[in-house]
Amino acid sequence: MSEAENDGIWGVAHVHASFNNTIITITDQTGAETLAKSSGGTVVKQNRDEASPYAAMQMAEVVAEKALDRGVEGVDVRVRGPGGNQQTSPGPGAQATIRALARAGLEIGRIEDVTPTPHDGTRAPKNSGF
Amino acid sequence: MRVAVTGTPGTGKTTATELLQTDLDVVHLNDIIEDEGFSTGVDEERGSVVADMDAVAEWLYGRDDVLFESHLAHNFAADRVIVLRAHPDTVVERLRERGDSDSKAYENAESEALDVILSEAVSHHGTENVYEIDTTERDPDEVADGIAAVLADEVEPSAGTVSYVDWL
Ligand SMILES: Nc1ncnc2c1ncn2[C@@H]1O[C@H](COP(=O)(O)OP(=O)(O)O)[C@@H](O)[C@H]1O
Ligand SMILES: [Mg+2]
Repeated sequence: MSEAENDGIWGVAHVHASFNNTIITITDQTGAETLAKSSGGTVVKQNRDEASPYAAMQMAEVVAEKALDRGVEGVDVRVRGPGGNQQTSPGPGAQATIRALARAGLEIGRIEDVTPTPHDGTRAPKNSGF
Repeated sequence: MRVAVTGTPGTGKTTATELLQTDLDVVHLNDIIEDEGFSTGVDEERGSVVADMDAVAEWLYGRDDVLFESHLAHNFAADRVIVLRAHPDTVVERLRERGDSDSKAYENAESEALDVILSEAVSHHGTENVYEIDTTERDPDEVADGIAAVLADEVEPSAGTVSYVDWL
């Protein structure tokens, strides 16, 4: 791939960070076309007793490489999942994933936390808990 | 003993705890929040009141033989935390059946797929105090039996045993 041929595609990296897993998908800006997806059965199942951010970081590298091959230059990041917004959370850590995407050569734009909120007639305030 | 029963809306907390035979006082926190006006605001978009967590904590303070259920229950001090789980499609089905909107059903299903409540429960209480029960294939009586088994010390703590990420 030469930079002259493929400059300027900007994508969106969707990071889903659950208790045990991280899934990374890079799409075009509309979200319609998938440009790169974490492989290994889409999901890296991590043994929580091992250093869990490690697998997520390795996966981020692979996904970033695929995206760069498709001419993606940089990404906005949308993080969904408690692995993304709590320092103390047990998830593998979206922060480590984002750093790995950057280290692999992707420019990182806006980072947005779009974690869903469980709700009924009530919901918790943001950052609740003791 | 203080027991918190939590889980994404639609996992069956209210139904199962109504069936549970126990000496503990069973408290439905969502009712308390509504009846006592324990809110700090309204989330118009979701049609929910924002719970006043300090007021709830104070209300619970000193109640020592209590089982409180709510999707907020894991935010309060407890000796054991039981997290009810259900496949995201099941969450959608149950909430739609109950008459909730599509957007509410979907956001709760996505929360369930991302283990939002389980993760919060573990970060507040540690894996050694958290018990997961998958309700997807269990009827309400069986779920109540599962809760009773935790209260009776018949099962070990378990967190991270179910995963619905394939749904995402
Ligand atoms: N174990 C179960 N199996 C099938 N349906 C259930 C089960 N538990 C609850 N339901 C149904 O699902 C809906 C949500 O249950 P509910 O107890 O209100 O959940 P929660 O209190 O966790 O939000 C209700 O309509 C209820 O009848
Ligand atoms: Mg309920």
